[in-house]
Amino acid sequence: MVVVSGLVVEGLEVARGEFHLGPIRLDVPPASATALLGRSGAGKTTLLRTLAGFLPAQRGEVRLGDRSIGRLPPERRGFGFVPPNLGLFPHRRVRENVAYPLRLRGAPDAAAQTRVWIDRFHLGGLADRYPAELSSGQQQRVAMARALAAGPSALLWDEPLAALDVESRDVLLRLVRDLLVAEGLSLLLVTHDAATALALADRIVVLVEGRIRFDGPPEQLARAPLDRFIARFLGFENLLSLAEIETGSASGLAPDLRRAAGPGGVVIPPTALTWSRSGTNEGPAQVNALRWTPGGWVVVVQEGPWTFRVPAGPHPPTVRVGDPVTLSLDPTLLKPLSDLTDEEAA
Amino acid sequence: MFASRTATIARVVAGILSASLVGLFVLPLVALVAYTGWDGILSAAGNGGFRTALEFTLLASAIAVGLGLLTGVPLGYVLARYRFPGRSIVESLVLVPVVIPHLVVGIALLLLFAPGNPVGGWVASLGIPVFDGTWGVVLVMMYVGSSYVVLTSQLAFRSVDDDVLESARSLGATPSEAFLTVTLPSAARGILTGALLMWARGVSEVGGFIILAYAIYPSPPWNGPVTNPASVWILNYYSIDPSLAVGAAALLVLVALALFLAIRLVDRTGILTALRGWWS
Repeated sequence: MVVVSGLVVEGLEVARGEFHLGPIRLDVPPASATALLGRSGAGKTTLLRTLAGFLPAQRGEVRLGDRSIGRLPPERRGFGFVPPNLGLFPHRRVRENVAYPLRLRGAPDAAAQTRVWIDRFHLGGLADRYPAELSSGQQQRVAMARALAAGPSALLWDEPLAALDVESRDVLLRLVRDLLVAEGLSLLLVTHDAATALALADRIVVLVEGRIRFDGPPEQLARAPLDRFIARFLGFENLLSLAEIETGSASGLAPDLRRAAGPGGVVIPPTALTWSRSGTNEGPAQVNALRWTPGGWVVVVQEGPWTFRVPAGPHPPTVRVGDPVTLSLDPTLLKPLSDLTDEEAA
Repeated sequence: MFASRTATIARVVAGILSASLVGLFVLPLVALVAYTGWDGILSAAGNGGFRTALEFTLLASAIAVGLGLLTGVPLGYVLARYRFPGRSIVESLVLVPVVIPHLVVGIALLLLFAPGNPVGGWVASLGIPVFDGTWGVVLVMMYVGSSYVVLTSQLAFRSVDDDVLESARSLGATPSEAFLTVTLPSAARGILTGALLMWARGVSEVGGFIILAYAIYPSPPWNGPVTNPASVWILNYYSIDPSLAVGAAALLVLVALALFLAIRLVDRTGILTALRGWWS
């Protein structure tokens, strides 16, 4: 029995001028997706382009299935690579773009296979158009269909769904998820979109200044979101740095916040905060705004220099803008933040 | 109110200035055709001497453009895609033919290819007549026109996105397949524009021909009678038979316009685009 091991990266190191990536160790099993997160310049695109064969690695091993591919040219690696600008051929129609890899390898049923991929990505009505005549979202679907038509063993996608509206993105995410399972593909994707990462990825890898600082399931990252960037990415809105905590030291919440904070500050999850109309404020808090969200009402509360968004349930809150309120904090739910950049520098 | 009035005035002034320039381009040609009329053009077309000169010019320009593409497109590609010591010097050298007077081009080429010189002697030993021969005309046309092929190719290759090439490679194309199926077709329109500019520049040349290849004596690939390049023929007849010369000039303009329109039409109808992706 052949054991299919997906994409495995061991000790990969890349040097580009002053920037050093690695050593990188990654394992993206078949029929699974891993999302690569990190600030700009963290090395995400460098990693993807190195794996695809467009940048040389100083050392390390890249395996795809049972093949060692680290020294092969890009055309023999077996990746479906979608770069950030999609790389569609401007002089070819949608149909010809999708057919390109099939024609290249002389597939006898190229026309039929092209139709299959065009239909799967709902491109039937656009098949005779040129890329310049498509919307950004449509172009992304063409790039994905073309990458999959090449019959890859793994996919490397750099911001594949950046330009899609929410509904189109959800439809595509389901389609991609089904394809990963059906075809046994490994997907490594760079994204700045939490919804895409959380809906698609089994694992999340966080790159900080060229090194992996987290590799695990999304829920593990949500329990300890590392730093402000990751916390923001995951959708946490109430974040305070150490300096920000000190600016509100007069607040009754400050001692708990100070105790819970890490070097990068603290995350205050929505569930950690409650508000009440009590007349005696623990701090000088008042309602700044009321917002409706699909998840329920949110009361925006100003506590000294801090602004917190506090969930208020499904019904319109009984407070109005300007009303004094009291904020309470459950310190056991606070999440400390590291300052990864500073740690790295140290 | 004031701003909108200023904008209106600016638009009117820009419109007048633009129209003046377009008028400068078009009106002399209209005057030329109007002066000679269809009779003059037909008379030139029926003149055996001019027809021979035109046939020769079309043959020589086709050879020159072919060689210009053969050498200029690779140079444009290298300048667009590679960084190497002296690249900016090469880029400047490519512009030299555009800025020097073309009479000087003829003199310089004559001095280089004079039979008594090493280069001229070597070329003569190969049986390639340069002085007063087809290859002299081709040389002048290449010298004055190849820069356009290099420059437009360079721009065209530079505009081909790296992402596009990397996608092709990742989809299974070797470097040469990616060049032939993606880079070259994507740059085709720019290259074609360069070829057209080179052709037009070569056909309109006079100064270089007068020095190096005034009269054309039969030798392969030109096996016709003794003739001149069409532009030189027109210059000669301008003092002998001005009406015929003007008719010939108008005919030359029509030939150039016909070629230009044919290429535009091919591009517009999508045939060129279809050809670029023909094998898909």
